[in-house]
Amino acid sequence: MTMAGREPEGAVTNGAALAASLSAGIGALGLGLVVFLNELGVFEVPALYGPAGGVTGRTAAGVVIWLAAWAVLHSRWKDRSKSSGVFGLSLLLVALGVVLTFPPVWHLF
Amino acid sequence: MDIPLFSYDSILTMLHGLGAGGGGLLTLFAALFALITMRTDGHLDAVVEKRSRNLRWLIVLAAVLVWGAVIGGTYIVFPPYRATPPEGLTDLTAYPRSLLTSNPETDWLHSFAMETKEHVPWIAAMLATAAAFIAVRYRSRILSDRAINRMTTAVLATCFALAAYAALLGTFVNKVAPLE
Repeated sequence: MTMAGREPEGAVTNGAALAASLSAGIGALGLGLVVFLNELGVFEVPALYGPAGGVTGRTAAGVVIWLAAWAVLHSRWKDRSKSSGVFGLSLLLVALGVVLTFPPVWHLF
Repeated sequence: MDIPLFSYDSILTMLHGLGAGGGGLLTLFAALFALITMRTDGHLDAVVEKRSRNLRWLIVLAAVLVWGAVIGGTYIVFPPYRATPPEGLTDLTAYPRSLLTSNPETDWLHSFAMETKEHVPWIAAMLATAAAFIAVRYRSRILSDRAINRMTTAVLATCFALAAYAALLGTFVNKVAPLE
């Protein structure tokens, strides 16, 4: 048993793995939201590379959200163990992110 | 008359779809198969260490190939796909997006298939990176630790499903309006 989730030195913790998976979920949801709000006209993400168009800006925004979330979560969780429920949340966020990138969903609003 | 077998754009499309995309799917499937069939549920010896080392590199290779497909698709293959044809042009063969949207029966290949394909593979790439990170950090535990093994398997399976979905849509688009 650990205090506040921190493991004794040498023990195997799952925090780094959960930080990697949850940050992928946050990145997926972030990308989905950027795409969704862009399509609704709430804001427009400028293109990073003109010939490829706006997709370059939207996906770059998603990557920045993903990496920022990963950096924060990894620094906090790398030596800790977390509930496996975090992994379920990761998959849920990925599913939400994927749904938000589907054109039929944009047309519902 | 000298007729090239493949144009420059079609070679780039093949490198994107067959090379990086197809290679990514193959390595993802192989890694998934190994994760499921080689797990040891606690047992750890030199054989497991060696297998996990090979598997680790396979998962890293899968992530590299998925990123190659995603970045190549977005920055190299997509620009000629979405190029705007000159005013008044009737033969749209060289302009795939315009060719697809000019026909109501193929419009969905752009408005649904390509629009989805623009974003979903980036999520697959994030998941592949997460799996590669777990494999490198946890080393042989991806086979010997049941929880880590299951987590890596689920992340890779989700990545594989998304990458396969994008690849299928890409195949449809390329069938009707290939880059030539």
